Amino acid sequence: MSHKPTITDSLQFPADSKIPRVLLIVGAVGLLATAIGFATDLEQSLYSYLVSFVFFTGIGLASVFMVMFHHITKSKWGVVVRRIPETFGGNLKWWSLAFLPILGGMTVLYHHWTDPTLFDPSSANFDYIVAKKESYLNVPFFIIRQVIYFAIWGYVGHKLYKASVELEKTGDWGITTLMRKISAPAIPLFGLSIAFASFDWLMSLDPHWFSTMFGVYFFAISFQSFWAIMILMVFFLQSRGLLKNTIGQVHIYDLGAWLFAFTVFYAYIAFSQFLLIYYANLPEETLWFYERLEGSWKYIAYGLLLFRFVLPFLTLLNREQKHRKNVLRFVAIVVVIMHYLEIYWIAMPMLSEHGINFSWIDLTSFFGLGGIFFWMFFKKFQQNSMIPENDPKLDACLEKTYHQ
Amino acid sequence: MSKYEYIPEPALVKGNHDFASITKLVTDVNLRPTPKNWYLAMLPANALLGLLLVSIGYLIWEGTGIWGLNNPVGWGWAIINFVWWVGIGHAGTLISAILFLFRQDWRTAINRFAEAMTIFAVMCAGVFPAIHVGRIWVIYWVFPVPNQMAMWPNFNSPLLWDVFAVSTYFTVSLLFWYVGLVPDLATLRDKATDKIRKVAYGLFALGWTGSSRAWWNYEKAYMILAGLATPLVLSVHTIVSFDFAVSMIPGWHTTIFPPYFVAGAIFSGFAMVLTLMIVARKIYGMKDIMTDDHMEKMNIIIMVTGSMVGFAYMMEFFIAWYSGVEYEKAIFMLRATGPYAWAYWIMMFCNVISPQVFWFKKLRRSVGFTFFISIVVNIGMWFERFVITVTSLSTDYLPSSWDYYSPTAWDVLTYVGTFGLFFTMFLLFLRFLPMIAIAEVKLVMPQGDPHNYDDETQEYHLHVEEVPQPKAVKA
Repeated sequence: MSHKPTITDSLQFPADSKIPRVLLIVGAVGLLATAIGFATDLEQSLYSYLVSFVFFTGIGLASVFMVMFHHITKSKWGVVVRRIPETFGGNLKWWSLAFLPILGGMTVLYHHWTDPTLFDPSSANFDYIVAKKESYLNVPFFIIRQVIYFAIWGYVGHKLYKASVELEKTGDWGITTLMRKISAPAIPLFGLSIAFASFDWLMSLDPHWFSTMFGVYFFAISFQSFWAIMILMVFFLQSRGLLKNTIGQVHIYDLGAWLFAFTVFYAYIAFSQFLLIYYANLPEETLWFYERLEGSWKYIAYGLLLFRFVLPFLTLLNREQKHRKNVLRFVAIVVVIMHYLEIYWIAMPMLSEHGINFSWIDLTSFFGLGGIFFWMFFKKFQQNSMIPENDPKLDACLEKTYHQ
Repeated sequence: MSKYEYIPEPALVKGNHDFASITKLVTDVNLRPTPKNWYLAMLPANALLGLLLVSIGYLIWEGTGIWGLNNPVGWGWAIINFVWWVGIGHAGTLISAILFLFRQDWRTAINRFAEAMTIFAVMCAGVFPAIHVGRIWVIYWVFPVPNQMAMWPNFNSPLLWDVFAVSTYFTVSLLFWYVGLVPDLATLRDKATDKIRKVAYGLFALGWTGSSRAWWNYEKAYMILAGLATPLVLSVHTIVSFDFAVSMIPGWHTTIFPPYFVAGAIFSGFAMVLTLMIVARKIYGMKDIMTDDHMEKMNIIIMVTGSMVGFAYMMEFFIAWYSGVEYEKAIFMLRATGPYAWAYWIMMFCNVISPQVFWFKKLRRSVGFTFFISIVVNIGMWFERFVITVTSLSTDYLPSSWDYYSPTAWDVLTYVGTFGLFFTMFLLFLRFLPMIAIAEVKLVMPQGDPHNYDDETQEYHLHVEEVPQPKAVKA
């Protein structure tokens, strides 16, 4: 007969923890410093802010995606860690406020398509290619689209978090049906909105360039780093003595396997996009890569190949490595850094064409937004149990064991 | 009471089966005398196979001029059929390898079957690149064989990568299929009563004894082959998409092609597995193993991959407009409104609209309806390759050389003939090999789960999940 697994850990994130307060201070100081940046060097600040915003939003979006996949596939592997992405997703509705500075500064950030003289045939600035895109690339429609994206993301993230908490409180297994009913239609909506958001935020920085793969590419980079963040979150909690016996070797192995899988997926998508553009060598497309393989930008480009694919791939290829904490922690940190650099490498060459030009505002906006992002996370994480208790699949998840 | 109903996991094997009855159900098909209907089915399959051989014979005799190819459309049915068949093959590897890595137990009912389909579909696909070269007797020139003519294949060409990708894929698929077959072949060897069967099955069972050491090695090998097959299956259709996408032809050169082709391949492959499964499980009485729940899951995959293909169509169309490149815009407008608009709208309807019906639980559990949609999907996927290949070529950069492409009778006959090859192979498989992975199905039955045995007495008690009563909680 099977025995019901028992949980020996405390499932409540300590209410007196100093972590949220520290994060809030880091976030507030970072954002204040960034505000000084906005007053002194507006364009640099907007670019720096955008890179960090895309970094953290991508993690939030991948979180909701993971929760939705977990529900519709009726998975059991990730029940013990599911509350983490649920919490990230539940915060997206408030996180949308972080987009306001970009909206405020969009005529500076996206001046390659917001400048009205670009569309005026009599002007010396007239841009024949951009003028053809006016019905998509214009300020009102851009704002409308952002409202739609954040409405979808905020609503779905909130609903899924709420349903999970309700299931935990009531023990009503019927709610799993509700979770699937939310997730199934939300997945195509997420797919489309994330693709178009990536066009809006990153691809339209250079309005001449285009790639049909770009939405998938953004999804791939965000998802790979999401798994790295998940691994680091679990290790962080365990280093504080939390969930040490609940999240076991097999669950960490699963996260390692996901990181490995998405490392390959990322490389597949990113390399396919590069190869097809490089091979055809059409000027309207190939210039984008040309600029990013020039000057010191090329170090990031080759760094991506080495540290975002080759290193994690070779390190995690062996099964045993996928649950070794030191190995996973190292790889996860490298992937997170490379993720930041990749977004940087996509966006920044529009500002600093000939090479990398790091600014202190890059740091302040990263820590500012990051502090707030994780402060919001821990505030919400404190409110309920750290794992979705009473979930029908929880016992099966806890019972899983790692086979040598 | 809850507002929503909790739906427990359905049992993977229906009916009151134990290990012995499953073995009997599957092996009887191979061990009983050949039914008359099998010969009746073999007859048309062989006739079509003959047709294929005649078509190929005439092609070799006369040359590729018998096909409808001409300027500007130099790629026609041959590549369309190649991509279509290879795509169909992908579902087998997805089911057997990728779903294995994802620990999807339901795959056990259909993996053997789907893998066999993969191998036969890849055979049908392989026919076309081989025969289209014109002088098939020098086909070995596609391989980098040292020779005195200083002839060397063009390693920059994805067409050459295809040669390696497809042949590697075929080899690994075959090995994977065979490794999975070994324990079941041993079962057949032990069940067979006549000498010929005993020797034949025994030979291929490689002396399998079912010892724990044999199982240990078997599982290692199976895992490694699954791990190898997974990147291979992705690489095959990725490279097939490169055949088009590395070029500068509008409508072909688009970066989303690789994942979009892979999604489309799985889409059509699942449809083909469903078509075959629905017929086979009825004829052979396998409804307890290949249940309606399996069909429902497969229909969901069809819906998901169909929507992914729809997503790619939308991205292509949007970016064609957004790019501002006149040729890109023109080709996409011509696809939807030009001389091949009929094909385009068939494709759109079959691939994007038709799978959306599976949002409704009633429809994805309806056998007749699923059968219908599975055929619609494969028609749609054939037209997708037709639209991509033909529209971009027939209306290329030079409007003065635009021309309408039509296939000849030989194009059609060769394609129809490949069904003869496919069904001949498939019927042989159904007759002589176990169509269900017996050993793997047993593992996912409740009798195969150690939780269902008492710790001390080792007696079998089926463990039943209890659904708790929801608590009332103050808001």
